[in-house]
Amino acid sequence: MSSATLSLPQRTLEIRGLGKSFGGIHAVKDISFDVKTGEIVGLIGPNGAGKTTCFNLITGFYSPSTGQVRLGGEDVTGKKPFEMARMGIVRSFQKTNILKSLTVFENVLTGHYLEAHQPLWRTFFPGRAVREAEHSVRESATRIVHTMGLGHRIDTPASALSCGELRLLEVALALAAKPEILMLDEPAAGLNSQEARTFGDILKTLRGTLVRSILIVEHNMSLVMGVCDRIVVMHFGQKLAEGSPADIQGNKQVIDAYLGGGNQA
Amino acid sequence: MTFERRILLALMALAAVLPLFVRDQYVLHIAIMVLFFAVLASSLNLVVGYVGEFSLGHTAFLGTGAYTAAILATQHGWPLWATIPMAGLLAALVGVVIGALTLRLQGPFFVIVTLSFAEVLRLIADNWIGLTNGPMGIAGVPQPEWLAQASNLAAKQFYYGIAWVLLALTLYLSYRFVYSNAGRAAVAVRENRYVAQSIGIRPLNYTMLALVLGALLSGMAGGFYAHYISFVGPEVFRFAFMVSMIIMVLIGGKGTLVGPLIGALLVTFLEEYLREAKELRLSIFGLAVIAIVLFLPRGLMGFITQRREARGEALPATGNASAAPTTQRSPA
Repeated sequence: MSSATLSLPQRTLEIRGLGKSFGGIHAVKDISFDVKTGEIVGLIGPNGAGKTTCFNLITGFYSPSTGQVRLGGEDVTGKKPFEMARMGIVRSFQKTNILKSLTVFENVLTGHYLEAHQPLWRTFFPGRAVREAEHSVRESATRIVHTMGLGHRIDTPASALSCGELRLLEVALALAAKPEILMLDEPAAGLNSQEARTFGDILKTLRGTLVRSILIVEHNMSLVMGVCDRIVVMHFGQKLAEGSPADIQGNKQVIDAYLGGGNQA
Repeated sequence: MTFERRILLALMALAAVLPLFVRDQYVLHIAIMVLFFAVLASSLNLVVGYVGEFSLGHTAFLGTGAYTAAILATQHGWPLWATIPMAGLLAALVGVVIGALTLRLQGPFFVIVTLSFAEVLRLIADNWIGLTNGPMGIAGVPQPEWLAQASNLAAKQFYYGIAWVLLALTLYLSYRFVYSNAGRAAVAVRENRYVAQSIGIRPLNYTMLALVLGALLSGMAGGFYAHYISFVGPEVFRFAFMVSMIIMVLIGGKGTLVGPLIGALLVTFLEEYLREAKELRLSIFGLAVIAIVLFLPRGLMGFITQRREARGEALPATGNASAAPTTQRSPA
């Protein structure tokens, strides 16, 4: 697949003034940023900064207390997770979430749910169209498994994979839903530095071939700095900084947030 | 997929030729009950095995179907070929209502609420004397006219044929469901609701589909039961049916299509042979279930597939077959 054949819409994801409070705690407060088409955007911050909450707000697992999520100008705030997936935004999870009892191939095949969707009666009386659709999603599943470098494990039950392979499978599963915007929550957690580098290379090839843009939460700085076009830094639920990797690396506030500001406060 | 299909086809072919060799009415009766329970267990398995929620209210659908057929046949003179599908449809409708209320619940909550639905329906059947004749039940559900003249053996063969067709229909629909995109979606919901939603699946759609399909099939089984036994009373809603179905699904292996058939075969025969043990019978079943849950948590079929997979994995090590599946699948 080349970028010319990528038949996905090209929309900007706009986050505007997004906020969520649990009781009196503002887990996320007034976050705004864009993910433009073709971009890889990193969302970083110390633990507890609200990155995952932010993900949950965008993908509809939580409903925001304030603010808006817009996709291509359309307000999609508070849509259900499965509706967001249908709109082209698919996420992975921080805590590994896959279909444990199925094989790698079956996992990715299941991920093609939207593409393989048929009217109900077709389920019981499949014709040639259904068989052809099934054939094409099987091919696509095989391709995605190989793209993610899991080809040698294609028939292995997911429960038998190593930690690193599970992270790859999770991304493969998300890719299978053919998202326009792929959202990854700490996909490299548990990978060693070599695996993380390979993973970064894979991510870069995904843009323009399988997805339009990527929003990634990650603690592995060399991975984030290596793949992202733009980085948004969160701290205590608020946006601290935004800019290119070079800007962020030189930003004093960011360094303070990570290393502790010490006597400033 | 093909392994399971071959076993199913072989079993059904075997079942189809059975009446050619068996002339004994008692054996034929047991065979009919095996087919009947195979339909019930398969339909319960759609919920327990593929939605992953433990329904204790499956008798609600069986009973609804049985009463529907009995009432339509005795009071409105409907023939058998119309009452059985109608029994299925009405049970499916009850499935939609019960599903809409219970499928929002999970785990123990789902178990308790489904159980109470079956109990409520039993109380209705017991007390709505105008419609159901109360605890007396509905006796003399009519048989097709020509059967009255035919011999007992011919009648048994006739009902065996209907039960076979019902089971064939059950297996066809279940097979299509399980090996379709919809079946994969149901399994995704069973395995992980978060993942299912994040890839665009609305969980309720598929838990509902499986439940309603199960209700349709057990409703038709209920309609069949009404005509075959020719009596329907409130005990069709009783827990005893539920216990048999659960044991069959667990012993055979939930989440497989062949499992419930094996379970139905084993349990129906055991129930007959253990008749002499009377009260001890249920204790023996209890112990059997405990043993299965402890030692074969995936049931007999799960155990067999596991053995098969273990053997299959051992083979490629000797040859170069490990590359074969990938090359076979990958597009040019």
